[in-house]
Amino acid sequence: MNRKLGVRTVKLETTRFGEIDIKESELIVMKGPILGFEHLSRFVLLIHNNNTPLWWLQSVEDPSIAFVVINPRIIRPDYNPAIFEEDLESVDIKNSNDIALLAIVTVRSQPFRVTANIRAPILINAETRMARQVVLDDPDYPIQYDVLDHKADVNESLSETGGVWTEWASRLAPQAVV
Amino acid sequence: MLILTRKLGESIAIGDDIKITFLDIKGKQLRIGIEAPKNVSVHRNEIYQAIQEQNLQAAESDIQISSVWERLTEK
Repeated sequence: MNRKLGVRTVKLETTRFGEIDIKESELIVMKGPILGFEHLSRFVLLIHNNNTPLWWLQSVEDPSIAFVVINPRIIRPDYNPAIFEEDLESVDIKNSNDIALLAIVTVRSQPFRVTANIRAPILINAETRMARQVVLDDPDYPIQYDVLDHKADVNESLSETGGVWTEWASRLAPQAVV
Repeated sequence: MLILTRKLGESIAIGDDIKITFLDIKGKQLRIGIEAPKNVSVHRNEIYQAIQEQNLQAAESDIQISSVWERLTEK
């Protein structure tokens, strides 16, 4: 552990990426569980060195657990779900500018298939980094949203940089590169 | 499993702060109202299980981000 400009850096052991340095201020604290992973309450976002909008949500407590996550607007540009008041309150969001949503991505290799769970995104307070997985009451947003079927949307989002780097995304953007 | 018989409009209490009210019945469909503290998540069970299952699968994704991203952005 070392101190640099008042920001505490800690070493984090991970199965996929080995030992990495993270800033304590970047920790994401779960106020409600990622379903099935109730025992994990602290995560950190990691970015890949080739700078894709696919990020990792790495568990601090279990080195082997890391989810691939993406801003759902990149794969579904009209994504604008209604979030329950209770969910917003539980992560202390008072200002809609602080609403950050990340969809968990599942990749299967044979056959190659990529889906994103846009029905139950991770809601993060971009200011305080408190988070929970929320379940939307909207069947229009599936648990297995096929990303390959919507490659055109992905390419379009990327051509409009604003679609990718929303204001909250730049606030949450991981410093730790793997 | 505890099994109770209730009339429409009647409720059951679970603990100090959860109340379930049976509002309406039409054929095989039952409408119930649930009052619970904000920190208690209430989901339809099949949705809850599907999301849990998806999370477990996602955690097992063994992937190279760069190659996945290439496949997603190829025209």
